Amino acid sequence: MARPAALKARHYYILVALGAGDRHGLAIAREVERLSEGQVRLWPASLYSSLEDLLARGLIVEVDDPRERPPDESERKRFFRITSAGRRAMAEETERLAGLVRIARARARTRPGETG
Amino acid sequence: MTPRPGPTRTRAYRALLLLLPAHLRTRYGNEMESWFGEALAEAHRRGRIATARTWIAAIADVCHVAARERLTRQRGGVRHRNERRQTMTTADLWAALRSVGRQRTATALAVGMLALGIAANTAVFTLVNGLFLRPFPFPEPDRLAYLNERAPRWNLERTGINYPDFHRWRQDQRAFEAIALYDVDTFNFSDGRSAERIDGARVSPEMLAVLKIQPLAGRGFTEEETRPNGPRVVMIGEAMWRQRFNADPSAIGRTLRLESVPHTIVGVLPRQGEFFGGAKIWLPLVGDPAAECCNYSWLGIGRLKPGITIEEAERDLLRAHQPIWDERDEERNVSPIVRDLRDEYVQDFRTAVLALQVSVALLLLIACANVASVMLARAVSRRREMGIRLALGASRFRLLRQLFIESAILAVLGGALGLVLGDAAIGGLLALVPEEVPRWAHFGLDARVTLFTAAACAVTALLFGWAPAFYALGGDLRSAIHGTSARTVSARGGRTLGWLVGAEFALAAVLLVGSGLLLRAYARVRVVDPGFRTGNVLTLRLELPTAKYPEPDDRLAFWDRLQERIGALPGVRATGLVTCPPMGGCHWGNFFDIEGRPPRGPDDPDPVVLMRMASAGYFEAMGIRLVDGRFFRPEDGRGGLEGKLFASAEARQGPPTPVVVNETFVRTFWPGMENPVGRRLKFRGNTPWMTVVGVAHDVQHYGLEEPMRPGVYFPLTEFPDDGLAVVIHTAVEPTSLTPAVRRVVQELDPELPLFRVETAEGAIRKSLQLRTAYSWLLGVFASLAALLALGGGYGVTAYLANQRTREMGIRVALGARTPHIVRAVLGSSLVAVGAGVLVGVGASLGLGRLLSSLLFGVTALDAAVLVSVVVLLLLAAAAANYWPARRAARVDPASLLRAE
Repeated sequence: MARPAALKARHYYILVALGAGDRHGLAIAREVERLSEGQVRLWPASLYSSLEDLLARGLIVEVDDPRERPPDESERKRFFRITSAGRRAMAEETERLAGLVRIARARARTRPGETG
Repeated sequence: MTPRPGPTRTRAYRALLLLLPAHLRTRYGNEMESWFGEALAEAHRRGRIATARTWIAAIADVCHVAARERLTRQRGGVRHRNERRQTMTTADLWAALRSVGRQRTATALAVGMLALGIAANTAVFTLVNGLFLRPFPFPEPDRLAYLNERAPRWNLERTGINYPDFHRWRQDQRAFEAIALYDVDTFNFSDGRSAERIDGARVSPEMLAVLKIQPLAGRGFTEEETRPNGPRVVMIGEAMWRQRFNADPSAIGRTLRLESVPHTIVGVLPRQGEFFGGAKIWLPLVGDPAAECCNYSWLGIGRLKPGITIEEAERDLLRAHQPIWDERDEERNVSPIVRDLRDEYVQDFRTAVLALQVSVALLLLIACANVASVMLARAVSRRREMGIRLALGASRFRLLRQLFIESAILAVLGGALGLVLGDAAIGGLLALVPEEVPRWAHFGLDARVTLFTAAACAVTALLFGWAPAFYALGGDLRSAIHGTSARTVSARGGRTLGWLVGAEFALAAVLLVGSGLLLRAYARVRVVDPGFRTGNVLTLRLELPTAKYPEPDDRLAFWDRLQERIGALPGVRATGLVTCPPMGGCHWGNFFDIEGRPPRGPDDPDPVVLMRMASAGYFEAMGIRLVDGRFFRPEDGRGGLEGKLFASAEARQGPPTPVVVNETFVRTFWPGMENPVGRRLKFRGNTPWMTVVGVAHDVQHYGLEEPMRPGVYFPLTEFPDDGLAVVIHTAVEPTSLTPAVRRVVQELDPELPLFRVETAEGAIRKSLQLRTAYSWLLGVFASLAALLALGGGYGVTAYLANQRTREMGIRVALGARTPHIVRAVLGSSLVAVGAGVLVGVGASLGLGRLLSSLLFGVTALDAAVLVSVVVLLLLAAAAANYWPARRAARVDPASLLRAE
């Protein structure tokens, strides 16, 4: 089986943000900003087009049932929930990144003979 | 409290979201808007920069996503419709071409109107390009500057440069790499068989360094050659070098016979040298730095050092000029000026060309509005097609793209045709003003013009493309598939058409008012009394070479013989000689002490006085009216010491010089004086008094639109100049005498060419050439605009009336009578026209202000023009709309209902 394509960074961040629970658009963006320590700031059009991508790939779903919404949130906002496929994709990407981090750590050690 | 961003801001954001694919917008639009609202509110608290950054980020975000979604991936289509991913394909292009080709009439109409608008814009832009944009044909042309001197107290904005002043500047200036003097002139040139007058220039040796051009052969002038009585040398232009000398380098050292004296050819200049007045030969500008004072007659040009501005250069010349003020001009009458070279050359054209540019832009807008209404009407009938394609799975974006491709095809066709037409038109345009166009200017298609036309096409396509496209695709297209409603225009479409027609009339009204004002001004200028006879007057110039006619007596003898011989020709009623005829483009000024005037205070104005030397017959030949006293008699100034006009008081013998002054002179220096005859005046300094013997009516010496200066005529006998104009009052068609006059001159001196042979009528026409050209051009553009608007109005009314046939039929069936129907149809279209005309007339006040320098006293609020434009347009619109309205009223309800 072909290895699934790597997740785009912003998709990965969105999945991680949703991993902690259902969220609406603005909350996702804030969580992503917090997770990335301010490095990734998603603006509305980018966020929603990414969410559409993730919906299309079945990695997230929209929470339709009003009873499943968190309490005291506006009914006009759309909430998104990560699917099990989404969690798998997140896990795979995490493994890929962890592999990368291992390699990077190994290479980051100073070798004998290097100066500066 | 910090103001919170209002709903207007988020509404702007909402509008921005229109760029996004519909599925994103409809699903998430509200959330995106409220999110943006919060972000904006937060940024607002942090200040302006944060707000601006938020906006920029949001716009970038939307544009980025819109571009990605729509152009590269069409992902919306994948999910929501079953359309293949694709970008623009040849299939789309073919579909659009087929669609454009199917509707031949509409296509031809649209392309024709666009071509007209684009041709006018291309032609006018070619003018703009040639005059204002094309760089001068020299290295680093931006560093060239124009030099001159000014003397406001003499009432002279440009005096010309005095050679000793130039000499001083040349030594002391620090802002220029080099400065040079020049003057455009013409020279008698004879090759032994015939004589002609050729265009040339006198230039100082620095000219080549200023222009940074190299002689093709030989060398430039030396300092030695510019001294009085220096070697006789000449540089020839490339054209003459090729024609006469076959581009042979051995031409250097040969001689040309100019002004009856052989001149040695020292150099050959490339074509750029012709920059000044189309000169074909160049002579050294001879000047004497030690000359007493002042002959302000030369023009200057300089090459600024890198990084020096025009203003800095002027300050530098003022500094270099200081010793001149200290030594001989303590009143600081004259001061140097430095200007942008191009500004100086094109200032006459600036307003006129700007007005033309505005008018052709408006014309193109009207053409666009017309094309938009044609396309809109087409779009209505295509809603069914669009509905079906949408139902079959095409995305709205793709349909929109196809419609825009169709618009682009029309625009490109119109643009290509317009480019060809415009290029042809520019020739005609220039033929209107052959004398006025600077000879250095080159007009033709180049990359800039082509680029301009392409840009005009693109803007055009967007302008006329959006309304039909949105209309064809807007609203509920699914229902457009069924039912008859697909074929009829909705109320919204009708309103849009009404708007378009109103806008066309508004633009046409602006143009008509502008051209009406210019035509009024033209009429006003044409009735200005020139002060001389315009019919049956021939003028021509002759210049006696000083080598052959060194003494005043020799010249006077020649002029006397000439006047006598011409006067004896059949068909000649009167003939006279003058140094400078009206509208001849010449000015020789001087200053006088006036008897009985209190001494002039240091700050009083000291207007320059125009000097002319005239023979006894001049006033009669030119038809100048006598106000008081007498004109010159043949015996005036005769008797010993010819050329004594500028003699000192002691040297003067015989009776005082009789002079004739003009009315402006009397008004200026002897205001309120009843009878100035017998009063006296003299040149400044130790000179004898001269007596006024007559007062002549003013002539419009500088042109019909220019104010006259005070003027004095002196008897030619006292200063027989070498270059004169012969003025002939004829009993026959004036130019028919030219050959006879030429024969007379040839008999007297075969080496003398006649030049500037023209009629007085022709001189006036020439002086009005520019005004005539732009007035009529604007008139043509305005008429075209009005025709387009009327055509557009007619088409739209006819179309809408046709759409309402069913309604009309029902109304007729219910008893409405023809006048009611006509009134209903006419009324709705005339409201749009009326509103448009009123807005246009209001807007034209702005155009009037732009034109004000061309209006010759006509105000922008000229009631006659405004009222006639309003009435004309309304009447024409009523007439154009009447027929469609009538046709609508004639509908036969029975046949209509049967057809249902």
